[in-house]
Amino acid sequence: MMIQQSPILSVENLNVSFEGARGIFQILEGVEFSLYPNEILALVGETGCGKSVTAKSMLNLIPQLSRRRTGRVFFNENDLLKLSNRELRQVRGRSISMIFQNPQSSINPVFTLGEQIFRLIRMYLKDEIDRLRKQQNLKEKAAVRRIAKERLAEVGLTETDRLLKSHAHEISGGMAQRYKIALALLGSPAVLIADEATSALDVTVQAHILKLLKKMSQKKGTAILFITHDLGIAAQICDRVAVMYSGRIVEVGPTLDIFQNPLHPYTRGLLQAIPKLGEDEKLVPITGMIPDLADPPTGCRFHPRCDRQMDECCRKRPSYCSVTRTHTVACYLYS
Amino acid sequence: MTSNALISLKNIKTHFPYKKTLTGKAVSWIKAVDGVTLNFFAGECLGLVGESGCGKSTLGRSVLRLVPVKSGSITFDGEEIQDLNDHELRRFRPRMQMVFQDPRSSLNPKMTVLQILKEALFIRQELPKNEYLESAVQLMNMVDLRPEYLFRYPHEFSGGQQQRICIARALATEPEFLVFDEATSALDVSVQAQIINLMDALQKKLQLTYLFISHDLSIMEHICHRIAVMYAGQITEIQDAKALFRSPQHPYTKALRDAVPIADPTRNYDLASLKGEVPSLLNPPEGCRFHPRCEMATELCKHEPPKMENLKSGNWVRCHHHDKMK
Repeated sequence: MMIQQSPILSVENLNVSFEGARGIFQILEGVEFSLYPNEILALVGETGCGKSVTAKSMLNLIPQLSRRRTGRVFFNENDLLKLSNRELRQVRGRSISMIFQNPQSSINPVFTLGEQIFRLIRMYLKDEIDRLRKQQNLKEKAAVRRIAKERLAEVGLTETDRLLKSHAHEISGGMAQRYKIALALLGSPAVLIADEATSALDVTVQAHILKLLKKMSQKKGTAILFITHDLGIAAQICDRVAVMYSGRIVEVGPTLDIFQNPLHPYTRGLLQAIPKLGEDEKLVPITGMIPDLADPPTGCRFHPRCDRQMDECCRKRPSYCSVTRTHTVACYLYS
Repeated sequence: MTSNALISLKNIKTHFPYKKTLTGKAVSWIKAVDGVTLNFFAGECLGLVGESGCGKSTLGRSVLRLVPVKSGSITFDGEEIQDLNDHELRRFRPRMQMVFQDPRSSLNPKMTVLQILKEALFIRQELPKNEYLESAVQLMNMVDLRPEYLFRYPHEFSGGQQQRICIARALATEPEFLVFDEATSALDVSVQAQIINLMDALQKKLQLTYLFISHDLSIMEHICHRIAVMYAGQITEIQDAKALFRSPQHPYTKALRDAVPIADPTRNYDLASLKGEVPSLLNPPEGCRFHPRCEMATELCKHEPPKMENLKSGNWVRCHHHDKMK
């Protein structure tokens, strides 16, 4: 982990809200985090806490209808939120790419896998095609095919000839996710966002995909924002962990610190609620429920469920305070 | 745990027709459950684990006779139920119930919670009108929901509360045996812990027998007494839950265990992995069904299907080379 470096992506005070039938839903409330080159950052939290909205609103993938968004997302000194759609298209896929939860449904079912990867290669890798044509004296089509097969082999796919002719429904979930990773890495992005990329897969397949992502990140220096609800994954492959609760990041720190010395009461609650292999402690669930986003609790949004709440908690939102140089928490217990 | 088996399965096979001729005669079968022998002891929680598509849900449904079982024998409390017809089965239905993965889609959106519970209570016995309400309130208390929620509709509840309603409905017929088919997989960790604790408390209170189907090994180890591992339609290993993870006897169990990411960064996770994919149930590999993915496979494994061997009490394994497991 290279904290000394400047962040490749930094999100500052990101707010997103939607207008619904019951009023305004404040989905994100001042989200702040930074992603450094070469690191894997886990964004963990429960359903509906805004993990996916964070990722999607950075790339403007949420329809604008009835949505309000303020804040800044800096990437290469550009504020992504200020870019036009045309400018964003240069960023998506080339600089920041994304893989989604359900691989089979994020592949176009009408075209073969080959047609889809060839199109992207022609878009992103013009130089490499030209190089191959000159050096190996290949036709354009053959060059594209050669690159496709190389890239698919890189993510551990075999029988690439057959694969290029298949459609999305003919391959298994694990293969589809590998294929999507190959597509996402085609443009050599600096940042890869994996939104619950392994949640729909079996544990054995998941292990392969995690290993692959880690290897790719080390080999190509890609920074990964890994969105997950599985603390096990965060513990095992990520360098840093950001814990999110109801639209806010409540704690960020190096993985070891988060798991061995969790500070925020919510992080502690989460860690007590998961069964651990080989240990026989009774599970302690967090009492209460996720807040209603149309009418969120005032102050710290976790205070109604918190066992250590104080008077200040319901008055004002706690600001971030750094407990160590790398470990930050938003809770009045530490300020 | 007492030693008498509440339910025992002997060599049951559930095959689904895959291709049919013009006259409707099946020519190839998907062998979802292919020769499973298993006992459920009264008061225990038996876990069933395996990758998706290995037939674990079908096995759960076969036990309840919700899918047509092709052959084998199922005895419930000493009585053979495999060859009973639907009408004769009605006597047994209230005694075994099921809770499904997605609570939202297993509750009728047009009925209030009271109506949902009333339907199930009616199966047990016909009660006078006011007594339904009383029994329903009792059920709500049992699953830690407020009685005034009885007049609400399913969409007004969160996922965890909906799962509690499903459990209350299953308990309404006073069953002895409950099948939980991935019942906690759709829930968040903090809610999941609540449901698991509830299941645990109910089992102790009502002396229930559970079949807990899941792919999440860490939860299984937590609530199950014994765990059966399933691979390609067959049981490959049965062992005491704690021992299963400490000393797996089958290479597949070991691979499954090693693939689970543990929420402890100090523990080394080698992302050890199983190569290949789950075999097709239409045409499972010859010999040991696991051999194409197994590191220990020998010539013997390719031709000779291993038999279930009893190693010590309650520990069964289907592997030629189990003695080589560390």
